[in-house]
Amino acid sequence: MTGDITMESENYMTARAYCLTAAFWFAVATSFGILAASYLVAPDFMANIAFLEFGRIRPIHVNLVLFGFVTPGLLGAAHYLVPRLMQTRLYSQKLGLITVLLWNVAVAAGMIGLSLGHTTGREYAELIWPVKILIVIGFGLIGANLFLTIRQRKEPILYVSVWYVCAAVVMTGVTYFIGNVVWEPETGALLGISDAVLLWFYGHNIFGLLLTPLSLAVAYYVIPKVTRNPLYSHTLSILGFWGLLVVYTHIGTHHLLQVPVPTWLKVIAIVDSVAMVIPVMVFLINIWYTARGKLGEIHADIAGKFIFTGTIMYFFVSIQGSMMALPNVQRITHFTNWVIGHSHIGVLGFAGMISLGGMYYVLPRITDKPLYSRFLADLQYWLILIGVVGFTIVLTAAGLIQGNAWLNGETIYRVLPEIHVYYVIRLAIGVFIVIGAYIGLYNVIRTLYWNPGAES
Amino acid sequence: MSQEMTPRAVITGSLAILFAIVFVMVFWPHATRDMTPSEIFRERTAEENAGRALYIANGCVYCHSQSVRSIDWGNGAERIAQSGDYVADRPVLLGSQRTGVDLSQEGGEHPDDWHFAHFINPRFTRPNSIMPPFEYLGMDRIKRLTRYVQSLGGKSADSRMAHQDYWKTRVTAAYEAGPVHNAKWLSDHVPEGWRMVANPYPTSVAGLARGQKIYQDFCMGCHSPIGDGMGPAQPWIYPPPLNFTILKGREISGGILYFQIMNGIPGSAMPHFKAELESEKIWDVGNFVAVQFINQRDAGGIRRSEAGGQ
Ligand code: HEC
Ligand code: HEC
Ligand code: HEM
Ligand code: HEM
Repeated sequence: MTGDITMESENYMTARAYCLTAAFWFAVATSFGILAASYLVAPDFMANIAFLEFGRIRPIHVNLVLFGFVTPGLLGAAHYLVPRLMQTRLYSQKLGLITVLLWNVAVAAGMIGLSLGHTTGREYAELIWPVKILIVIGFGLIGANLFLTIRQRKEPILYVSVWYVCAAVVMTGVTYFIGNVVWEPETGALLGISDAVLLWFYGHNIFGLLLTPLSLAVAYYVIPKVTRNPLYSHTLSILGFWGLLVVYTHIGTHHLLQVPVPTWLKVIAIVDSVAMVIPVMVFLINIWYTARGKLGEIHADIAGKFIFTGTIMYFFVSIQGSMMALPNVQRITHFTNWVIGHSHIGVLGFAGMISLGGMYYVLPRITDKPLYSRFLADLQYWLILIGVVGFTIVLTAAGLIQGNAWLNGETIYRVLPEIHVYYVIRLAIGVFIVIGAYIGLYNVIRTLYWNPGAES
Repeated sequence: MSQEMTPRAVITGSLAILFAIVFVMVFWPHATRDMTPSEIFRERTAEENAGRALYIANGCVYCHSQSVRSIDWGNGAERIAQSGDYVADRPVLLGSQRTGVDLSQEGGEHPDDWHFAHFINPRFTRPNSIMPPFEYLGMDRIKRLTRYVQSLGGKSADSRMAHQDYWKTRVTAAYEAGPVHNAKWLSDHVPEGWRMVANPYPTSVAGLARGQKIYQDFCMGCHSPIGDGMGPAQPWIYPPPLNFTILKGREISGGILYFQIMNGIPGSAMPHFKAELESEKIWDVGNFVAVQFINQRDAGGIRRSEAGGQ
């Protein structure tokens, strides 16, 4: 990694705004998560309030964690590390700030729309047309700002984190446009079964081409910094980068293995889902070898701790994912809570953890003070770790019960009482995560605005 | 760090990969898709489409799939999904979770009144359900939603609906002719062989306790805890849930109860439980109903029959 120069007069407004955005929506999103989980335990709880009905708040929860929390948190880190690595300033903090503002308007408008029942009904592509346009514009502005930053760089060589950020922004901008069928404002969908093919190409790429590359970018930056080790291998980073881009993009059909889409698509999706082991392990070997012998340093650094844990979760979610793409496994896991468990390991345990770690890495550096409270950050780490592991155990167990019972011919209604207790435990464990989210919000606000800590 | 990874290489490289894959994996399947309607496909009416919009707006898709797999049992399992079923769907509502049941063949599974009660509060007809209540939609929109749900399955839904409608007029007429006639009509509805069968299981304390549990989990919302048919679902259901006490002294055999519970009563809201309850459970709940509400028992012996029984 190249040495950094200090940029005294840089105010990092954009990165600050992203961190605040992420911390805020994290708290809101988990509140909706808890509410959704309560309904599954007690369906008549707060009944008949239209805008809080399960089917309306579930997409609010999901969209908020994806576009309110994880993505902005990672972008916050990106708006710090790209200028740093390029030894220059962000092209325009003002443009950055406007983008964050626009992003927040889009997220808020999208959520209000969803609660009023304005949705396309396509998972991960629910938002109404004007909001989609705002988000596409958002990606355009983020791209413009970052590319102009790169153009004015003083450091000729692009570090691997920069590749990932560039690829994530460009590819997601395009994928978002195509996947949301933006040219069809009325329905936001294609006609017939190929709508599902497009939807899951897109849906999968939200994890694969947005969350994953941004998370990897942050990990590639922070782990060498925290451990003060050079990156283990540049060859591996190149291999992992192109491998991820090539393989991740065509496995979306593994969400459709049991529906009537062309068989060749399924075959490719299954084979390449297994092939995902290559880019995943290439990244992990690279990062874990970089951290070799320095676990003490990682443990001592809160950002390092979050991010290293995130890489471990990445291992689990990916190995699990490759398994779930095998038809014999998916016969049991598909349609069940097992998949919900997978989602939370991936989006919270992997991308969410790295997003938080990225925020805790940049916050002290952009405010020139230590975090308001290292203790609270630690507490949040444990709450979330317990939450993710707990979710995984409980939802996986529930999923296995559902899947096996259904395969044996038990009706869904009969299985509901069998999984009730797991829904209750999930709700209880969810409380840990919400508390963690609010603690994080408090910590971020205090760090940004009322931080008595000494200048560092 | 490699010199070749210039900004241009990264960006054009990623875009080239993306476009190549979009072309092969998305555009190509789309361009070559088979839009031949399947044999059960039919266009939806305007009202059914309005119901579909409500289905989307209220997030039914997060709990209900619309695609039956070859390994499925239960709702809709008679027909495995084909791409020709979806040719008019925009968006396609396949769903990714089965918190609730698959609805792709839901049309005609129940008559409309069952759906009204179920949408007002699913616990009314299905005591253990975790589906949200949709009373807030109001009756007009619930009716539209029901039209959509009853259209699911296309032409085969229509034929199931025709069957429901045919029997609806008959059960209603029987109910309106008064309890004596209704009780007789219902019993006559059961094939001769079944009427002569006694409940083979004894009315033991344990058996009745099991029957009670099943009654609470499956029947109580309609037939009510005291069996008088005044459960919470009653205001929406017509003919209303049977008041079991009208069956007193009418020689209702275990076989009649078994047959009715197993197959349901077409045209009425009384659902069939053949997929939901195994044979012994049906006998148990039959014994419970007989002992608890009708005050009679024929259990554990063969009555009026040489043919039936164990
Ligand atoms: C929280 C998840 C959830 C949501 C949201 C939901 N349902 Fe359900 N639904 C269920 C469950 C669980 C069942 C099975 C138990 C029952 O019959 O109530 C069910 C059953 C049904 C049935 C009965 C199927 C049968 O024949 O047994 C219909 C019809 C139905 N839902 C329609 C809808 C519609 C329409 C919506 C949206 C307005 C909707 N559901 C929203 C969970 C849900
Ligand atoms: C959705 C409401 C509903 C539910 C749930 C329901 N029933 Fe019924 N039941 C009815 C209606 C309606 C009738 C027919 C009334 C009529 O035609 O007069 C009926 C009729 C019957 C009969 C017919 C009696 C005869 O003389 O032929 C039996 C037996 C019965 N129910 C038992 C049960 C049992 C046992 C359960 C639970 C496993 C159950 N029902 C669940 C609504 C329901
Ligand atoms: C090698 C890597 C991975 C593979 C092969 C993989 C595979 C899968 C498969 C097969 C499913 C569909 C399950 C089903 O419906 O039966 C799935 C769902 C999902 N995956 Fe992964 N996964 C991987 C990594 C990830 C990562 C890193 C994330 C998060 C950042 C993630 C997030 C999700 C989510 C949210 C879903 C649920 C989609 C839905 O049904 O709504 N996955 N994955
Ligand atoms: C308070 C803690 C949380 C609770 C109680 C919670 C609860 C839930 C519930 C009930 C669902 C719907 C599941 C279903 O339909 O059965 C869900 C879905 C989801 N949640 Fe959470 N959640 C929490 C936190 C989070 C966090 C922090 C993230 C990510 C950072 C997250 C990511 C997701 C995703 C991606 C889905 C969609 C899964 C899918 O469609 O397969 N959740 N969550």
